[in-house]
Amino acid sequence: MSNSAEFTYDLSEMLPFEGLSSLRPGTSVLVTGPTMAGKDRLLYDVLGDGVSQNEAGIVVTTDGDGGESVDMVRSKAETADDSLLSAIDCRAQSDREETERDDGSCVYSVSSPSEFTSIGIGITDAFSRAEEANVTRGRLALTSLSTMVRYADQKTVFKFCHVLSQRLNSAGFIGLFTLNSDAHDEQTISVIKQAFDANIEIREVDGEKQGRVLGLGSQPTEWRPLS
Amino acid sequence: MADTDQVVLVVEDEPDVAETYRLWLEERYTVIVAESGDEGLEMLEERVDVVLLDRMMPGLSGSEVLSEIRSQELDCRVAMVTAVEPDFDILEMGFDAYLSKPVKSQQLRSTVENLLERSEYDSLLQEYYSMVEKQATIEATKGTTELENSDEYHDLRERIAELRDELSETLGGIEDDEDFIATIRGLSDVE
Repeated sequence: MSNSAEFTYDLSEMLPFEGLSSLRPGTSVLVTGPTMAGKDRLLYDVLGDGVSQNEAGIVVTTDGDGGESVDMVRSKAETADDSLLSAIDCRAQSDREETERDDGSCVYSVSSPSEFTSIGIGITDAFSRAEEANVTRGRLALTSLSTMVRYADQKTVFKFCHVLSQRLNSAGFIGLFTLNSDAHDEQTISVIKQAFDANIEIREVDGEKQGRVLGLGSQPTEWRPLS
Repeated sequence: MADTDQVVLVVEDEPDVAETYRLWLEERYTVIVAESGDEGLEMLEERVDVVLLDRMMPGLSGSEVLSEIRSQELDCRVAMVTAVEPDFDILEMGFDAYLSKPVKSQQLRSTVENLLERSEYDSLLQEYYSMVEKQATIEATKGTTELENSDEYHDLRERIAELRDELSETLGGIEDDEDFIATIRGLSDVE
């Protein structure tokens, strides 16, 4: 547990909940909600907010384009140092290939969402880039675990999440992972949840995006509107 | 012999080097030595927790011994001892760690300790997953009242909470990128 007393992460601008204004480094959070409920956007915003405070931003994308993910993060962070931005694109044609983009951000290609070792190497690459820039804070977003469990068995995905969380913990970073609640049965969701420290549920009611937090206090928070 | 049941096998063709490793480790672990890859494989018929494998040996090479260990699905951690500084390719070959010669005593001890910690983490994580899966199954098949009154369910929840604490107390030996990649690589092939 590194530097736990020294700093925390404040996500309250995007997620106005008490526990999320001072998140302990090393915390991994599962974000669940229906497909298209804006979970990805939320994660990109959280990363963009971090990058504009000179934190590293790492996106692991299993269904989108790596470069587009980086652009989505940047759209929230005008002042960002792009060299702090990395994406691991798990639907690429090639495997284990690093491409530096014109803006200085980096996209690492992985040929399948089940190539866990390649994904891991891409993440360690991003860690090294942060280290070279003397950056010790960072946020990782993985979107989505729903795709991962289609490509690999649930047990391996569960363990991967736990191992990655341990690594984020030793680095003092935080992690956010999405799961589509309408794509799996209750049992699968309740198992995957247990690989994480906390859970943010997202839902849409009459066109309004709402969220609540479970696992940071003894009781779930109330549902609150999210911007 | 140390009064520990953890066994370290040193596979090294230079007797002086092997003896040095033994001296450094025997206070904490039971150390056995093989002078060749073939002899090492024979000794692996007994339970071994960590193998220190010299890469360059006459007869079976370190890599060949490793692939035999993996194909037999032996439950041990393997550190390669090499004269050259390796890169990630070495880890991808299936080694759990590497040590560059000349190996220092502190480095050897911490590598062995780290590998044993990782094994412990693996088995804790394995048990945690099984328990969590069991809990989800029970919850899906029984009603709230039935769950409230089930001792089995309460015990299960207690064990899960314990495991959570144990898992969060250890970093599982995942302190750096090398540990991280080696652990991920082991995810799909260790059951």
